[in-house]
Amino acid sequence: MDDRPYLTFSDLAFCNLKRRPVRTAGLIILVAIMSFVLFGGSLITYGLFNGTDALASRLGADLLIVPKGYDQTVEGILLRGEPSAFYMDGAWTEKIAAVEGVRAVSPQLFVASLNASCCAMPIQLIGFEQKTDFVIEPWIRTAYPGDLADGDIVVGGAVSGRVGEAIKFFDRDYRIAAKMEKTGTGFDASIFMNMASARAAAADYSAAGGTPLPAAGAVSSLAVTIDEGFTISGVTGGINSEFGYGSSGIVVVAAKTIVHSVAGGLRAIVTFSAALAALLWFVALLVLAVVFSVVINERKREFGVLRSLGATRRKLQALVFLEAGVVSLTGGGAGVFLAALIIIPFRAYIQDAAAMPYMQPSPGGFVAVTIACLLLSFAVGPLASLFSAVKIGRADAYAVIREGEA
Amino acid sequence: MILTAQALRKQYPRGEQVFYAVDGVSLTLAAGEFVCLTGRSGCGKTTLLNILAGLLTPDAGSVSFAGQEYADLDDKALSRLRNTRLGYITQGQSLLANFTALQNVVLPYALRRRPGNPANRALALLEQMGLGSAAAQYPASLSGGEARRVAIARALLPEPELLIADEPTGDLDGETAAEIMRIFAAIAEQGTAVLMATHDTAAARYGSRILTMRAGRLVKVGGGRGAGT
Repeated sequence: MDDRPYLTFSDLAFCNLKRRPVRTAGLIILVAIMSFVLFGGSLITYGLFNGTDALASRLGADLLIVPKGYDQTVEGILLRGEPSAFYMDGAWTEKIAAVEGVRAVSPQLFVASLNASCCAMPIQLIGFEQKTDFVIEPWIRTAYPGDLADGDIVVGGAVSGRVGEAIKFFDRDYRIAAKMEKTGTGFDASIFMNMASARAAAADYSAAGGTPLPAAGAVSSLAVTIDEGFTISGVTGGINSEFGYGSSGIVVVAAKTIVHSVAGGLRAIVTFSAALAALLWFVALLVLAVVFSVVINERKREFGVLRSLGATRRKLQALVFLEAGVVSLTGGGAGVFLAALIIIPFRAYIQDAAAMPYMQPSPGGFVAVTIACLLLSFAVGPLASLFSAVKIGRADAYAVIREGEA
Repeated sequence: MILTAQALRKQYPRGEQVFYAVDGVSLTLAAGEFVCLTGRSGCGKTTLLNILAGLLTPDAGSVSFAGQEYADLDDKALSRLRNTRLGYITQGQSLLANFTALQNVVLPYALRRRPGNPANRALALLEQMGLGSAAAQYPASLSGGEARRVAIARALLPEPELLIADEPTGDLDGETAAEIMRIFAAIAEQGTAVLMATHDTAAARYGSRILTMRAGRLVKVGGGRGAGT
């Protein structure tokens, strides 16, 4: 014997929604747009925060010293991997190391490639001293524990090519010794090599018409950490007063200002994204509340009949909540799904468009954002119907029947 | 007695005056009785039926169903009573437009799950009402008389001990109204108490007892079918 009921309580809700397909579709689309913006905005914001965190931990230096006029350029290299080459005298390494409060100094040499087999565009080559480096070396050690031989390179996560393959720069082959995980920073589009290899590449670059090396020991930037008990502004002031602010030919950049400039831009994006999502959430709530209120008024007769057939007040409220829940569940799910469908495959484009460090959330973070956005989307329907549900639950059954007859 | 009402009173404000829709009504109903409640429109019939169905709380007086005082029952218990033991047919069109005739009949089961599939009994009731072929039709395609018979089938689905009907023949032609009355009489003969409000004196004659209301009061108690014979 078939024990399934011929008509279930949830059928009542589904049939009522199907009865007005255009209205139901409109409400679902409204919730879908809201959840799309909410989820999409959250995912992008999360990715940008991830990228900024990665940048902060990647920089690892308190100060960066670059030739005067190149402070914006170094930001472009670190944030976006924009290729550039600029040089200053290598003697600055020892001069800066001697300043009071400086704990360690490590030089880096930047070379902009021309076209290479790995890349559609010129790429940033970064040379570093493995013995003194505290910025790149600890990171590279996670993928390549040994010392980099001359001609060996470590490529960023966004550079194509496999370990063991060779990439040609300026007619010279460089062997890929390791490939890094993506960090969401400009390092993803950079190639790292030891200082000797970088000097050879810089010489090739100069010979090919690029920026000429001023001297054999030239460097592009110095990463500086400071001793405990000293402040960044104090050491910056010490360097400027010792070598002359503006006349020394160098500029001191606090690494945190780079992160802060990113964080500042990020704050604007987060504020805009949150405001838009909140606005849409309230608009959806308001529209749904008005529509449900109108619908409940239209259906007073139906509710009266259901009361006469033995529906409790709670049952009627459950019916209203169920219908609202189906709308927000369908719309919320569709919006989140569509946002994921667009954002995940197009994350590279989003990163370029944002011009900021961007790193896709981890699977756990992705699930957390998804759950939070789904909950907020699902809540909008039942919340919007709360007033109507309370009203119909409190209404006198007789009055509901009589009003419905009018 | 299946239903006992004592000194019921229900008043509504009308401007600065008080209007007594039901004023001191007492009545009893035994199993198998078919009682017709007559009176002019606005005399308080619907208000009284709603109080007796537990849909409206009286200002004074008491109602008991098979010994259970309504005043002692909460919304859940009263709703269960209407769902399982008391069939109520409201005035006018009471079918839900987006459900078929058969689905409308099984609605009480959708509100409260019970073991078994009600569809077979619902179909049997529709056939009993001469509507077996209309089971899959929506209310919009049913005539007034057919829709009323579907509503009766729905009220009978849980095999109620009491059936209350409010103006079930109000908008029907004489022949259809007579057919509905014959159905009620047959239901009463099977042991279900029937209380029907009507302003149609011809229809009222089918009852075994006729109660007449005026201005909220029961003014006359007379015999129906049996009285004249």
